[in-house]
Amino acid sequence: MAVIIAFWIQFSLPAVPPAEEIPTQEIVVVAARLPGQDPSADSSQIDGQRLRRSARPSALEAIAQEAADVYVSSRGAGIHGIASGASGSINIRGLGGSPNTQVLVVEDDVPDYQGIFGHPIPDAYTPFLIEDVRVIKGGDSVLWGTNAMGGVILIKNRWLHRDGLEIMNDTGYGSYQSLRENAALLWRRGDWDIAGALSVLRTDGQRVGAGGVNVIGVVGARLRLRPELRLSLSNKLLHLSGGDPGPASHPNDDHWYDVWRDSLSLRLDYDGENYSLRLVPYFHIGIHRLYDGFYSQDYLGGGNLVCDFDLIEGLKLKLGAAGEWVDGLVEDRIAREHQPVDPSGNLSVYGQLTYTPAESLTFMAGARGMYHTSYGAIGLYKAGARWEFAQGFFLRSRLARNFRQPTLRELYLPFPTANPDLKPEYALNWDFGLAFERGHFSLSVSGFRTAAENLIKYFGAWPSAEVVNIDQITVWGISAQMALAKLGPLDVRLSGEWQDVGRYTRQNPEGRLTFTVDWLHTFGAHAIMATLSGEWVHGLYMGNYGRDPIPDVFYIDLSARYRYSPADARFVVEPYLVLANPLDRHYAYIKDYPMPGFHVLAGLMVKI
Amino acid sequence: MINRYPDKTLVLLAVLISLAGGCDLAYPETVVVNKLDQRVLVRNLSFNGCLWNTVLAYGEATSPGRCLPGEDRVHFEKFDAGAYCQKQADDGTIEGVCACNTDGQPDDNPMDSGLSNEVPTWFNYQTISSFRAGYREFHIFELTPKDIEQDFSVPGPYGH
Repeated sequence: MAVIIAFWIQFSLPAVPPAEEIPTQEIVVVAARLPGQDPSADSSQIDGQRLRRSARPSALEAIAQEAADVYVSSRGAGIHGIASGASGSINIRGLGGSPNTQVLVVEDDVPDYQGIFGHPIPDAYTPFLIEDVRVIKGGDSVLWGTNAMGGVILIKNRWLHRDGLEIMNDTGYGSYQSLRENAALLWRRGDWDIAGALSVLRTDGQRVGAGGVNVIGVVGARLRLRPELRLSLSNKLLHLSGGDPGPASHPNDDHWYDVWRDSLSLRLDYDGENYSLRLVPYFHIGIHRLYDGFYSQDYLGGGNLVCDFDLIEGLKLKLGAAGEWVDGLVEDRIAREHQPVDPSGNLSVYGQLTYTPAESLTFMAGARGMYHTSYGAIGLYKAGARWEFAQGFFLRSRLARNFRQPTLRELYLPFPTANPDLKPEYALNWDFGLAFERGHFSLSVSGFRTAAENLIKYFGAWPSAEVVNIDQITVWGISAQMALAKLGPLDVRLSGEWQDVGRYTRQNPEGRLTFTVDWLHTFGAHAIMATLSGEWVHGLYMGNYGRDPIPDVFYIDLSARYRYSPADARFVVEPYLVLANPLDRHYAYIKDYPMPGFHVLAGLMVKI
Repeated sequence: MINRYPDKTLVLLAVLISLAGGCDLAYPETVVVNKLDQRVLVRNLSFNGCLWNTVLAYGEATSPGRCLPGEDRVHFEKFDAGAYCQKQADDGTIEGVCACNTDGQPDDNPMDSGLSNEVPTWFNYQTISSFRAGYREFHIFELTPKDIEQDFSVPGPYGH
């Protein structure tokens, strides 16, 4: 087996401000990157405006465009799907799960995954209310618990920061009878904040059976009881319907799915003089129906209480307690059979200590003690450091022990097989990096080692498949990222990754490169923006052990926008055109699920 | 004075609309014809993203389907009615129909009914040849007896 030293360029660029907020006088900011919750973590921060303007058809793909070490598969023009034939699998530094059980998505401090299948739904995220996204590479189970094994995607949604009203509507129409409608409303007055969004995607897809409709509605309300005390309520309801088109050589036109999901969360924030408190209880429910009679209800309930203390100058302590419970029911409505499922839960206490003895040096250590109803006591830990050894030059390193509980599907459901004796997965992830930021230029390089044990893998094929915990795997890799900001009218970003994934090669690419070139020209109230972006993926396989190789993925996208925003008016009008795959490349992330050739989307965004 | 030139805005709009709707209109059109045998039926034919949920008798053709550009074999399910009838006659499962002995007389020794399989079975087949179809092309592919083989690439049930 060839051992390839991976070269990975890590993204660590300060977020570029949204275009409509760019002042007429040029200002270049030289500052350290915001450290986030864990200052030693290797992370990418992506502004919500970049995601909204991305030429990529879904939120997860737009995130993957900004960070080469985040691989997301796709099968068409914006719909990932559910169950068989679904795309949207996320892989970060060799870990992803089957599917996505090793990457945790957290939306406004609420972990998001299904109770039975144990993973997030790729179609459940719309960028329209997103303020920013932070991707923590290497995971962080100390702070986030199960599933935060390979990575954590932290999504923060928007509120208005001052009294007023903002309404935004984005309507697009394009190839394959694709219709996109996104509307958002944000309102703030006195002690109240309201945020709501509706996102609809409807498409026939590029081939038989690839169409579908995604509808996502989000509403949130926040009340400032006192200046230091805030109470928020948030609910997301989504309805996804579509189908598995099947391989192009054996298509399906009736393998449909119909999914309803709702996520409700409450949040209480208190800011004291030297401490802050946050309490977040949440509840998710999902109802899934499939063409073959499959029916399920799944539940995830939990809560998180976190307190951040400023102990003394340079010493911060985070203490938390969390609990989660998953349950569900599954039946075959045609055969009239029920699949028994046992619920499970866990309770945890955790802490993280951050010590900054000097302005340029920070140490971090954390631990989590968990009690699981099925696996007993579990210990997790992490430690790291970040050092600015010269102006603009940073060194960082972190070691983290992460964990994933087996899903109820893996334990009890014959899809394709189950094993109630499965044990949890563990990973010990280590990474180190060097970064440089000055003026218009930033460059960072990171090396990483992902070592996982007890990985849960499926072997064989139905009807003789089995699922077991295997022994260890080790993934070495390197990432690197370069950005040139405000180089005249241009912004250039280049991100690359190379890794040795060993024998578990299924949907786990060896190499990836993403690039984005933005061109902006403003003249008074007018602006013209053009973007060239693209991706190259190498070493992609449909099977483990290097079986079923998939040809390299390469494509580019072009997009153009015109913005009209008069200085004395309070509105923005922005028509745009996206030319996706203008080279009409024939490629696929998933074997025999070809991506669309050249296709077009035209739209209009209006904001008041 | 008559304006002989269309408004530029309308022209731009027409171009954009045609771009938005035109990509799949350029896909190749494909027809498949059953030329296997008088006694052979085929159904659920597919070719590079196209699917025809229909049953074709000998000589019948599918409707033109807009398939993805590229190369693929034609995949289908095959039912040999003649072979099925012969087997049932051998097993004596059809009243009034039985195999003949060497004298041309009805054979009075039918197989034990418990060992007979009366369920008609459609088997997965594909053409041996691969066909290529490009944008704006029109193709008629014929299924012929010497150009088919069993198709073991049919995906099984993956579960959820």
